[in-house]
Amino acid sequence: MKILIGLINGMLTGATPILLAALGGTLTYYAGIFNIAMEGMMLGGAFFGVLGSYYFQSWEMGILAAIIGSLIMAIIFIFFSVVLKTDEFVTGIGLNLFALGATTYMLRQIFQVKGAFSGPGIVSIPAINIPFLKDIPILGEILSGQNLIVYIALLATIAIVYLVFKTPFGLRLRAAGYNAACLDTSGVRTSRIRIWSLLLCGVLCGLAGAYLSLGYVTLFSENMSAGRGWISLAAIILVNGSPWGIAIISLLFGFSDGFGLLLQQYIPSQFASMAPYVATLVALYVYSVREKKKKA
Amino acid sequence: MNKKIISGISGIFVAMLLGALIMALQGYQPFETYAALFSYSLGDFFSLATTLQNSVPLILTGLSASIAFASGPVNLGQPGQFLMGALFATIGGLYVDLPPILMVPFLILLAMLGGALWSGIAALLRQWFGMSEFITTLMLNMIADFFTYWAITYPFYDQAAFSPMTPLINKSGWLPEFGEFNSSVIVMLLAFAGVWFVFTRLTAGYEWRITGQNSLFARLGGCDINKNYMTVMLLTGALAGLAGGLVIMAGPHRFLKGIGANYAWDGVMIAMVANNGLIATVLYGLFFATLQTGALGMELITAVPSEFIQVLQAAIVLIIVAGREYLDIFMDRTAARRKAKERSA
Repeated sequence: MKILIGLINGMLTGATPILLAALGGTLTYYAGIFNIAMEGMMLGGAFFGVLGSYYFQSWEMGILAAIIGSLIMAIIFIFFSVVLKTDEFVTGIGLNLFALGATTYMLRQIFQVKGAFSGPGIVSIPAINIPFLKDIPILGEILSGQNLIVYIALLATIAIVYLVFKTPFGLRLRAAGYNAACLDTSGVRTSRIRIWSLLLCGVLCGLAGAYLSLGYVTLFSENMSAGRGWISLAAIILVNGSPWGIAIISLLFGFSDGFGLLLQQYIPSQFASMAPYVATLVALYVYSVREKKKKA
Repeated sequence: MNKKIISGISGIFVAMLLGALIMALQGYQPFETYAALFSYSLGDFFSLATTLQNSVPLILTGLSASIAFASGPVNLGQPGQFLMGALFATIGGLYVDLPPILMVPFLILLAMLGGALWSGIAALLRQWFGMSEFITTLMLNMIADFFTYWAITYPFYDQAAFSPMTPLINKSGWLPEFGEFNSSVIVMLLAFAGVWFVFTRLTAGYEWRITGQNSLFARLGGCDINKNYMTVMLLTGALAGLAGGLVIMAGPHRFLKGIGANYAWDGVMIAMVANNGLIATVLYGLFFATLQTGALGMELITAVPSEFIQVLQAAIVLIIVAGREYLDIFMDRTAARRKAKERSA
C-alpha cells in the first residue's frame, strides 16, 4: 500500500510541470503557432523563481518572479515571431538556447556559483493540507498534502477547458489557428490573439518553472528543465491539443517518472532516468499506429 | 551572395553591440573584453591552432544539421549521435590495437557507424510507424545521454579515476599532430569536401535538395523519397558521429562525463544562421569556434564569465535570422525603386 501511495504521489509530482507547460503550449497550438519555446520559458521561470524567493524571502514573490521571468522569454518570442515574422522554429530553438545561456550566466553573475545554487535562503512553495479530506484513510494521503502548484495545475486545466471552448476569446483563439485570414477579415486581429496566447503560455510555463525550482526541489541547477518542455510538446501533439487529454498524458509521463525512481533500486539509475523519454517514444508509437489505421 | 554577407556581418555587429551594452551596464569594459576574446582565439599561432581544432565538431555537427534541414528530415539528434559516435570510437580504441595507419581510419569508421546507428533508429521508426523524427531524435538525445553516462560509469569505467570516465584509448588511435595543428582538421576538411561534392555535384544531392524544397514535386519527378530520406538520415548521423569520434581521438583521448555538452545544440544553431548553406556553415562554424575559444581568455583577462558567450551566440542567431528576412524585403524594394527611376529617366 505504501509503495502504491508513493507511486501515485510521484506520478502527481512528475506530471505537474509537464501538465502546466503543455496547457500553455496548447493555447498557442490552437492559435496556430508552432511554439517549441516551452523549454526556455520554463527554465527562465525556474531561475527567476529562485531569485525572487531568495531575495524577498517569500515563496509568493518567488512565484511572481517566476511568472515574470517566463513572460520575458514569451515577450522575446513575440517580438521575433509575431512582430518581425521570423520563422517560429528558428525563434523557438534560438530562445531555448538563449534561456539556457542566460540562466547559466546569471547563475554565475548573481549567485557566484557554477552548476547549481541551493541554500537555506530559498523559501519553497508549501504543501496544502485540506481539512476533512486529509482525515480520510489512504485517499487523504493523495488528495491532501500536495504542493500548492499541484492544485493550481488542476484548476488551470479546468480554466483552460472553459477558456478555449466556452468563451468568445476561445472561439477567436481556435479561429486564429483554423483560418487566420478568415478571422482577420471578420475584424479581429490574428496577431493580437496570438500575442495573448503566447503571454498566457508564458504565465503557465512560469508556474511550471516555479514548481521545478521551488516545489519539486528547492534549488536551481543548469538546464534543470531537462527536456520537459519537449515532452509537453509531444503530449500536445499526441492528443491534438485537448486539455483533458493532456492531463491524462501528463499523468502517464508522471507515472513513468515515479516508476523510474522506484526502479532505481533494481537497475542502474541511468536506465531508470530514461523512463519518461522512453515513455514518450512509446506514446508516439501508439499515436502513429492509430493515425495510420485511421488513414487506411 | 552579397546579401548574405551583408546580413551576416550586420547581424553579428548588432548582436555584439547589444553584448557590449549588457557588459557596460554591468560595469565591464566592452572593448577590452572583445579585444581579449579575439586575441586569445586568433592572436598567435597556438591559439589559431586551438580555434581550428575546436571548430571541427562545430562544423561537422553544423553540416549534419544543414544537410538534414536542406533535404527535408528535421534531424535534431546531433547531440545524441555525437555521443554515440564518441562512445563507439572510444570502445574501439580501448579493445583494438592496430598499426596507426589502419587504426585511425578504423576508429573514424566506427564513430560514423555509431552516429549512423543512432540516427538510423529514428529513421526506421519513421519508415515503419510514421513517427516524426522531430520528436524521436530529441528523445533519443536524452536516452543517448543517459546511456553513455551508464557506459562510462559501469562497464568501461577507469578504476584509477575519481569521476566517471573511461581509460585512455590505445596510442595508435590518437590523431597525429603536426606542430601545433591537430590532424582532426584535415579529416574534417576531407569530410566537408566529400559531402559538398555529393550535395552540389551529384544526382543524389540534387534529389535531396529538390526533396527538401518540394517533396511532392520530387516524388512526381521520379525520386525515391523513402530511400533518400534513409540515406540523408544515415549520412547526417554519421557526420555527427564523426564529430564525436574526432573529439575523442584529437582531444582527451578518453570519454569524459559531459563531453558532448559543449557542442549539444551548436550544430543546429550554426545550420540555422547559415540558412543550411554548406560553405556558410563552415564560416559560421569557424566564427563560433573563435568565440568559444576566446571565451576563456576573456574570463582570464577581464573577468567576464565565459558563459556570456552562450548568450551572445543565441543573440547572434536570432538577430541574423530575423534581420535576413527583413533585409531581403528592404533590398528588393530599393532595387525596384532604382529600376523604376531608370525607366522613367
